[in-house]
Amino acid sequence: MTMTPTQTVQAFLDAFARHDVDAAIAVVDPQVSVTVHPFGLESSGADVLRGVLADLVLGFPDLMITVSRVITTGDVVTALFKAEGTQAAGYAGAINQEKHLDIDQAWRFVTGGGLITEVTAYWCQAQLYRRLAVKRYDEIAIA
Amino acid sequence: MTEVSQRPRTAESAAAVVTEFFDRYRAHDVDGMTDLCSINADFSYVPVEIWGKQRVLRGDGKVCTVGKPLWTGLIASFPNLSNTVHSVTSNDEGDVVAQVDVEGTQQLAWGLIAPAGRHYREPHLFIFHVGADLLIDSIAAYWNDAGISQQLGHNEVD
Repeated sequence: MTMTPTQTVQAFLDAFARHDVDAAIAVVDPQVSVTVHPFGLESSGADVLRGVLADLVLGFPDLMITVSRVITTGDVVTALFKAEGTQAAGYAGAINQEKHLDIDQAWRFVTGGGLITEVTAYWCQAQLYRRLAVKRYDEIAIA
Repeated sequence: MTEVSQRPRTAESAAAVVTEFFDRYRAHDVDGMTDLCSINADFSYVPVEIWGKQRVLRGDGKVCTVGKPLWTGLIASFPNLSNTVHSVTSNDEGDVVAQVDVEGTQQLAWGLIAPAGRHYREPHLFIFHVGADLLIDSIAAYWNDAGISQQLGHNEVD
């Protein structure tokens, strides 16, 4: 039986929250459209999304995802969550200074046939860099 | 006896309220935007945070006390402020999600960003809730403020 849009996205979020990237990608269409605005990333393919998730888990091994709302509007599901963790490796160009991160994010998913066919992620990179003690956007790797 | 006719709240009517909100925003009609909101409507511009030495000011509060001054200030700093609505999705419970690009050319200081006449365009995700009275009772928005800063030529992470 095909999952509903809400169930599909909930399965993705649950897997992501337990750092199980393979299980998260299992509910993603192989040709998924991926847009991550803070990275200026607009691409397609499950491996692209796998990279986005894996980088976050690698950079913050104690990553905690706390979902506050899941809003279903037809085939579109919007998830609001907070990502928290302590940096343990370079992330988004920022060197590891073992800083704590807490960022509120909104991810908009489009679903079809029980799979995620489109993901658009919104968060504020200024908040992220501020928490990771980055001083300038044009010198991200310099603490 | 006065008869009051009220459109029922449906996914379509809730989406129409939000579409009208962005039409008024594009026309810089801040009072009109506020008129579409309930008097105690919640407001949260998630990326807005100003770090002082002892406290952090955030873009959270009410439309009438935080939202309206923010919109007014933004329009003053970016006199050609505009928006392009890419998608609006909604449900019968009054939830409305809108993908919107906001853009403008800076003429006055905005926060710590000095005016240099530069233009920005940044994708935003707006989350609304429209009440049974077809008034917006909650607005939240997410975007990448670093993108705006960099487009305006401000490279410090404040």
